[in-house]
Amino acid sequence: MEITAAIMIIAGTFFILVAAIGLLRLPDLMTRIHAATKATSFGLLLILSGLGLYFATWQITVKAILLVAFIYLTAPLAASVIAKSAMVEKDDR
Amino acid sequence: MTASFFDFILYIALAVLMVAFFLTIIRLAKGPHLYDRVVALELITSISAGIILVYSMIADNPIFFDVAVIIFMIAFLGTVAISKYLTKVD
Repeated sequence: MEITAAIMIIAGTFFILVAAIGLLRLPDLMTRIHAATKATSFGLLLILSGLGLYFATWQITVKAILLVAFIYLTAPLAASVIAKSAMVEKDDR
Repeated sequence: MTASFFDFILYIALAVLMVAFFLTIIRLAKGPHLYDRVVALELITSISAGIILVYSMIADNPIFFDVAVIIFMIAFLGTVAISKYLTKVD
């Protein structure tokens, strides 16, 4: 069980690192939003899965699933709001 | 496997997350526009929540899990509030 949790945590941190590199390297605002939203959501999904496997109690697993659901509900919403605001205010930039 | 191997993995994860934090700080410092900084701040809150999650496994104390929940809620509210504030209504 700990091996699976360790693999999931390392993979999750790798995805978050990829998101940070993409935020630093990509040339445009929209591509930066694209890099920072999806990879971070998936990395946090992996880290929370590893945390649920590590603690392996009923309460922590349910809270981890709820937090994953919250992240996957709100991260695209925040990215959409930022992109919409940037598109509306394109004249000022 | 022993517990020390898992602790080693967790410290490596913390190091990688700190590197990601540093790269995001660079983008926050030199972002050309304000929206890049907003995206960088959102990513910084996500990375700090991930650091807290990994630290809750290092400390073997699941009470830090609630801190991550609150940080995610505040990050979402802050992002939406800043974006709504930056959109001119006229």
